[in-house]
Amino acid sequence: MTGFARQFGIRLASMAGVLPVLTFVVEEIQRQLPSDPARVLAGRTASPQALAAARERLGLDEPLITHYVGYLGRLLSGDLGTSVSTRRPVADDIATYLPATLELVLVAALLALVGGLLLGVVGARDGLTGGLVRVVSVAGASAASFLLAIVLLLVFYRDLGWFPAGGRGDTADGPTGMTLLDSLLHGDPGGFLDAVRHVVLPAVVLALGPAVAIGRVLRASLREVMAADFVRSARAKGAGWWLTVWRHGLRNAAGPALSMAGLQVSIMFGGSVVVESLFSWPGLGRYLSTAIAASDLAAITGVVLVLGVAYVLLNFLVDTLQLLIDPRLRESE
Amino acid sequence: MSNIVARISGLTVGFGDKRAVDGVDLQIRAGEIVALVGESGSGKTVLGSCLLGIPPAHAQIGGTIDIDGVDMLHGPEKARHHVRRHRLGAVFQDPLTSLDPTMKAGAQVCERGASDERGVAVMAECGVPEPEARFHYWPHQLSGGLRQRVSIAGAIATDPEEAPALIVADEPTTALDVSVQATVVALFARLREQHGCSVLLITHDLGVAAQIADRIVVMSAGRIREQGPARKVLRSPEHPYTRQLLASRLDIAGPFGAAETSFATANPVLRLRNITKDFPVPHHRRESRRVLHGVSLDLAEGESVALVGESGSGKSTLLRIAAGLEPATGGTIGSEADARPQLIFQDARASLTPWMPVGAQIAERLALAGVARSDRPGRVAELLEQVGLDPAVARSRPRQMSGGQCQRAAIARALASSPRVLLCDEPVSALDATLATQVVELLDNLRRTTGVALLLVTHDLAVAKRIAGRIAVMTEGRIVEEGEVRRVFEAPEHAYTKSLLAASPSLAAVS
Repeated sequence: MTGFARQFGIRLASMAGVLPVLTFVVEEIQRQLPSDPARVLAGRTASPQALAAARERLGLDEPLITHYVGYLGRLLSGDLGTSVSTRRPVADDIATYLPATLELVLVAALLALVGGLLLGVVGARDGLTGGLVRVVSVAGASAASFLLAIVLLLVFYRDLGWFPAGGRGDTADGPTGMTLLDSLLHGDPGGFLDAVRHVVLPAVVLALGPAVAIGRVLRASLREVMAADFVRSARAKGAGWWLTVWRHGLRNAAGPALSMAGLQVSIMFGGSVVVESLFSWPGLGRYLSTAIAASDLAAITGVVLVLGVAYVLLNFLVDTLQLLIDPRLRESE
Repeated sequence: MSNIVARISGLTVGFGDKRAVDGVDLQIRAGEIVALVGESGSGKTVLGSCLLGIPPAHAQIGGTIDIDGVDMLHGPEKARHHVRRHRLGAVFQDPLTSLDPTMKAGAQVCERGASDERGVAVMAECGVPEPEARFHYWPHQLSGGLRQRVSIAGAIATDPEEAPALIVADEPTTALDVSVQATVVALFARLREQHGCSVLLITHDLGVAAQIADRIVVMSAGRIREQGPARKVLRSPEHPYTRQLLASRLDIAGPFGAAETSFATANPVLRLRNITKDFPVPHHRRESRRVLHGVSLDLAEGESVALVGESGSGKSTLLRIAAGLEPATGGTIGSEADARPQLIFQDARASLTPWMPVGAQIAERLALAGVARSDRPGRVAELLEQVGLDPAVARSRPRQMSGGQCQRAAIARALASSPRVLLCDEPVSALDATLATQVVELLDNLRRTTGVALLLVTHDLAVAKRIAGRIAVMTEGRIVEEGEVRRVFEAPEHAYTKSLLAASPSLAAVS
């Protein structure tokens, strides 16, 4: 495992290196934007003195490094500034909205992975079912998510009445802020069922595109792997198709699919903006769109920072999984 | 009749209106080693897959294959799995791809339910040194020869039986060096002796068949042309196709080729002096590994020199340095200003651009050599004729051509810039025997008629004997013996040369 420990360390270190760069870039963009945060804070009709005071309070007149170090210090103590639209600390706002988005993205990611796995494996098989899956994949990939959302709402909310039109239902006051988990922790099956009913439609809309993308990549690499000599060897040893896929195919084919999954899930965080608006899901996406409309810079950078960190963590996770899957990566450069 | 392990009757395998196997009957007796010999496209590999009960997809199959009373073609899936699991073993050509890279060696050996102890024992039996440690290695940590042994260990580690009744080995030695090849062949012979396994050895090389087979079956165009005891087929072949195969085979017992016609000129076109080459060691930034230790070699005008050695000896690196594709770490390379060395590679199809017609690829080189646009089509036709191709081939793309045609086209392209040196890296080792002979003769002819000097890297002494005037034997980054081809073959001095000669498969072994 020394090779693994070494490569794991390298990836951990590079993640640690990326985070300061990310915060610096976010901070710099915030400084360089033409929209003046001091004016937003002080108000449109503020006197020059009030403006200067606001500028000083925001630290906008300091040199770059001092300003960045101060920003980093505040960041580490959990201070993301104050939102001008909600008049609350941005950190508190994010703590309120993040669990909802996290819940939605986690459920959607799970759906996308399971769906991608099914589409990929069944699609890799020759014959009628494989062909059918390929057709469905293409159709799924070409459906726009807002259109799909509307169709699902018409069918499952208006006609069948199985699922609510939007919102998150009653949020239990729990340790995680994620209704699904909290209701389970509180031993509240009714609440759990209600949470499931609320999350199904938005999660399906969010997961469809990524599931198809993951499925396509997995199918292509699985077909390639299943034509390899070692698969022929395994079959010659008496393993059937499904066993061979399970034992030799998936692990060798997982690399590209995993990269695609990482990419798709990080896009999901951004894509949740649209889905959250469509389903009135009280998450970061909706918070972000109100913040943008109000030029609420502290809130915007706060959310961007959270999304950036999520992206970096996700990439680290994917890299580590790749290391676990392919022993060769533990040795090459 | 109970001693028949596998019975193939009336096997036909078709793809659309093309028949890969066309009515084959074959029986394999217990403890018998049968060599199935044929060139590429003869249907021998398809036959092997059918025997394992995993015929190629989309094939129309007729006839029966009976192993242990189970029809391996149309029988119930479960019964076929059972036969494969307990009665059969399979070994394939490329040891680099026949092991799962994400599964440890031991786990692959024990895939059919053998215990770890038995896995280690079988690996030891197959000649894997330190099997307890290697059991936990990943495939990429093993050399090619060791991987092939692990593959074979996996093929024979059936459970609970002692060994499979039949091993189907498809070109198991083709990708290996001659000395490793010899040990793998010996391993099959030992398995038969100790466990009574039958072996179906599928090969394109009559020499390998001669080393081990009891019976040789010759196949071409999907049909069995001739079969019989090995000695009889090799000594007194009946079918013209067998005779042609035997005649075209480059054998180390064959005649010398170029020695007598060597140009006796002292005018060197290429002069390599004390060439050293270091490659960096992965993960150790400051360390490097020396692959060439001060190699010197001269190549005179119109001369042909063969650089012989096993993989990893540094022979291809030396060739790339001579071509200027790779910088040397130390030493000097002297070549005439107009030497224009050109390279010819092993995989001709991969060395041609897939989407460009061959003529256009040659014309491109002509343009670089300063040939006027109006003269190019005529010159392309000339070059194609020079390498024995129909000038109409100029309009074909590489995928429409056979392997032999591709290699000829690659040679024509190399000749476009009128080089005085051709550097050939294993130019015939991917070709069937008849084609290999033709390409070797073509190169020799070009040397005689145009005076181009040949520096040829090969692991096959038979090729060297047929084409070279001088041989340089390389091992571990050094030339250990160099001399006139006749002297090296008749009175080898270095122990390594002797071992190479001894390990080379030859039909002369059958007396």
